[in-house]
Amino acid sequence: MSSRKKVLLKVIILGDSGVGKTSLMNQYVNKKFSTSYKATIGADFLTKEVTVDDRTVTLQLWDTAGQERFQSLGVAFYRGADCCVLVYDVNSTKSFETLDSWRDEFLIQASPRDPESFPFVVLGNKIDLGEERRMISQKRALAYCQQRGQMPYFETSAKESINVEQAFEVIARNALAQEESEEYGGDFSDPININLDQERDGCAC
Amino acid sequence: MTSQQESSSKPNPPSPSASFYDLSDDEEGGYNTITHNSATRGVKLLYSKSKVYVHPTPSAKDNIPGFIALVQQKSSPLSADDRPDSSGDSSGKQTNASSYLLAWVPESSLTQDDLSTYVRVDLKDGQSPPKQSYLVPPLPLATSFDESPVGPYAFSLPLSSIYSIHVRPPSLGWWYGSIVINTRAGSSLPALFFHDSECESTILQKKRRTRESFDPFGETGDLFWGGDEVIRWLKRYVTVERSTAEPSIYLIDPSEEDRLGFGQGRGSMEAQGRQKAAGSDSKKPKQKPPAGPGMDPLTKALKETRWKILEQLSKVTTFTRRTAEDLVNNKNIPPQVRRLIQNPEIQTLQDEFDSAKLYLARWAMTIAEQSEREKRQRMWTARDVLESEETSVGDFEILDMESGKMTLSDSRRRPVDLKEWESFFDSSGKLQVTVDEVKERIFHGGLDPEDGVRKEAWPFLLGVYDWDSTEEERLAYMNSKRDEYIQLKGAWWDRMVEGESTPEQEEWWKEQKNRIEKDVHRTDRHIPLFAGEDIPHPDPTSPFFNPDGPGTNVHLEQLKDMLLTYLEYDTPPSSSNASHYQTRNPHPLNLGYVQGMSDLLSPLYAVFQDDAVAFWAFVEFMRRMSRNFVRSQVGMRAQLSTLDQLVQILDPKLYLHLQAADSTNFFFFFRMLLVWYKREFEWSDTLRLWEALWTDYYSSQFHLFIAVAILEKHRDVIMDHLRHFDEILKYINELSGTIELQEILVRAERLFKRFEKTVEAVDRKNSFPAPSGGDVRQRKPVDGAEGKSQDSPTSAAATGTDTVPSTAAGASASQRQALPARPRQAQGKQGPKGKAKEVEKEKEKEKEQVITPEVRLLLSRKIITVDGEEDDASKPRASGLKD
Repeated sequence: MSSRKKVLLKVIILGDSGVGKTSLMNQYVNKKFSTSYKATIGADFLTKEVTVDDRTVTLQLWDTAGQERFQSLGVAFYRGADCCVLVYDVNSTKSFETLDSWRDEFLIQASPRDPESFPFVVLGNKIDLGEERRMISQKRALAYCQQRGQMPYFETSAKESINVEQAFEVIARNALAQEESEEYGGDFSDPININLDQERDGCAC
Repeated sequence: MTSQQESSSKPNPPSPSASFYDLSDDEEGGYNTITHNSATRGVKLLYSKSKVYVHPTPSAKDNIPGFIALVQQKSSPLSADDRPDSSGDSSGKQTNASSYLLAWVPESSLTQDDLSTYVRVDLKDGQSPPKQSYLVPPLPLATSFDESPVGPYAFSLPLSSIYSIHVRPPSLGWWYGSIVINTRAGSSLPALFFHDSECESTILQKKRRTRESFDPFGETGDLFWGGDEVIRWLKRYVTVERSTAEPSIYLIDPSEEDRLGFGQGRGSMEAQGRQKAAGSDSKKPKQKPPAGPGMDPLTKALKETRWKILEQLSKVTTFTRRTAEDLVNNKNIPPQVRRLIQNPEIQTLQDEFDSAKLYLARWAMTIAEQSEREKRQRMWTARDVLESEETSVGDFEILDMESGKMTLSDSRRRPVDLKEWESFFDSSGKLQVTVDEVKERIFHGGLDPEDGVRKEAWPFLLGVYDWDSTEEERLAYMNSKRDEYIQLKGAWWDRMVEGESTPEQEEWWKEQKNRIEKDVHRTDRHIPLFAGEDIPHPDPTSPFFNPDGPGTNVHLEQLKDMLLTYLEYDTPPSSSNASHYQTRNPHPLNLGYVQGMSDLLSPLYAVFQDDAVAFWAFVEFMRRMSRNFVRSQVGMRAQLSTLDQLVQILDPKLYLHLQAADSTNFFFFFRMLLVWYKREFEWSDTLRLWEALWTDYYSSQFHLFIAVAILEKHRDVIMDHLRHFDEILKYINELSGTIELQEILVRAERLFKRFEKTVEAVDRKNSFPAPSGGDVRQRKPVDGAEGKSQDSPTSAAATGTDTVPSTAAGASASQRQALPARPRQAQGKQGPKGKAKEVEKEKEKEKEQVITPEVRLLLSRKIITVDGEEDDASKPRASGLKD
């Protein structure tokens, strides 16, 4: 068994369907943008190793279906999250207005020990479409984030890779801080670490 | 380039295809026609490597295997020395560069003879080119690769035209190492991927290296992979310099300018390497190839581990091939491998690196699949059948001996074509065989994808048409349905244009429309019908509206309209729009548009290409599927829970493993169940799968057996490598695009039969009325034995759900006839002892088994709808779930 403990940071990406969750994730991890993503069904994740303050950590980024109807089955992967990314489309008022419900939904399902301090990061995506399409001003978004416990806010374009790297750096940093603070109190909420030492099982042959 | 013209001695025919290539010069000569005969066998094959793939799409199924080869033009005046010494000076190399060509040719384009030549050269010890001359037909030049007559990606390119090669060794992101050739003309050829695990010569070279010096974890040298070989070939003929600025770029015969551009000093990395190598190279063959591009230590370690596993498994799979027909229930992920995986170093690797385990799992599966493929090719001779029966078979084998084996070779697996379909009907267009006969054929054979029979058959399978109807009746029916469709479509259209509804309703409809549009624009765009945009978007307020050009195409608009029409159909009328069209849908569910619906609709539309027919087919399809989309998600939960119980019954060990891995929520099947595997299979396979499922031949819930079949196929890998929910989810998600449908269908069928047997055994034990005759393959008695009443098949004939027991039993009987000797042989070979053991095992299992009503429903062919079982038209049902 390794003596070093692997640091796996679990990040959940939420937001209305079509705001660009899958695209952001793929831009960040694979440096690729495609116009031909299909609507995400179920859930999937990508991993990326990053260095945060000289520590190498693995980010596990969970991408989920954006339609709220499918969220009730999401408990399985919300649990043990270290950071939650809320994404909206700056050209869609509705996707901005639902941020609160995404946030609440997450807090209910993931039930972090200290909801007040749990790190969220907000991304306003699709800024490449131009000012004339934009519905949510930066000012409005910033004010919102300010009100909700100063959530970090980035305006991004997955398509043109604007601010994506920067945003995820902050996400990784906040997730690591969260993970470390949780560690002090016994890491009971993270199923991934709990099972690390478990015996192999199943096949008794 | 004169040498090429000389080499292609055939006069350039004024081929009409020549215009396609649109070449600015005439250097192609005979290359763009491939009339291979002795006269044109002009190029000498110096080196080749097999299993080098072009990956035209992200789907592994589209990968094209081929050979990369270095060939020499026969008549080059400068090639008197066929086998230049690698230490030859670079000016000599330069002059030769145009007479050597680097080529890639798809396996499929080669004749048997040529193929064996390529293979022979591949397997030659690659240190130097063969002494003997191996001649192969010339290949088209690279400039025409996209229109080449031997497949779109084939090329051959004089070394003098290669500017650089971008070398990407295997890494975590790219399991297969690859190279990309950049031409001096400035274009890049498609990436060539080296599937080292399949390449005989690489495996051999690898093994040799392993024998002679091997400590994968201690070795500091670079790892060996197929791409290295190519660089090594090239170095014999041209100067290859690795860029210092871009270490993955290898420059071919670089000019001073190129060198500067790529940050080469005088003593570049490659030059140094070459000097070092030159000394030993000429004396004795060196095992270690020239230093290749670096790999990170993790990849290297993994890669080495893989080779070890590969070696071990290659021994084992030869063994496996003879022991069991499939990996289900076999304990043959061998002890060697198990030990290897338990090796502390590898364990450390697994624990430290997130993806290591997943990769291990995937390798194991690739290899297992390879051996299975081989098996399948061999399986259908009588000797093979005998052989496989002799060996240790699990209870699976015993139970399925009669039914499982013959399924693939059977003529019943031929697709039903239009002619056969028409033969089912009499002159009035009335079915003259039993519904079950038709369903049996379609379940096992599918429908011909080309000849339009799907258009005819799907409305029956889906329940749009009554199986008992005459052609005349169907025409009349469809005419009235067409009118109804137009009315429905008009209803939402009116509402949108006239804005007669309340502000809330208006807002709701707008929102729904946006959702639909967003999804339609990302549904199956790789299908030609839906690809491309050629008409302006009709709605300037849509985010897809493009003031400067087309924003949609007519088929996307049709999909959008049909989904909106479905919304109209499924939304209960409200008082404010009561004056409008009243839906004739007796049970609107008020689902709203839900993601996944567009996935279900698009194949229907693509097959019918008639919006009214597609719409009503969709309505019928949604009768089955709407429970997947209800707000409470009860339908999905119920199916995942049934799956849970099914796995418990069919594979308790695997179940325990999943339980320990916190994975019995079976969430990783969510996507598969929601849209019936549409995201897992390619388009054509999806259509084939759906039509099989629509038959309800064994069960209306057969899609759950497909899920178990997929799980079972990977069970050993899952049990040996995957211990957490996230690992399993990732592994299952990534099966997308790799699943072989035919095999899964056969497995699922066997699982169903096994399940049926199990239920029967449990029932007998619990003194349920025993099924008559004890032949459980006769479905009807089993159904009849159920405690739960199923009544007589109601007027369900309209949806084709009633059972015809005699036919089902008849089918079984004919199955047995097809291979009459087998059951007896099986018994004989197995011996009473083995049999008894199996029976005992079976008994043991039965002890714990309780067949819940939900599980028992799996034996039923009745469609399950939101409200439970199939609704009679007479039975009122609740008007949808709301939350």
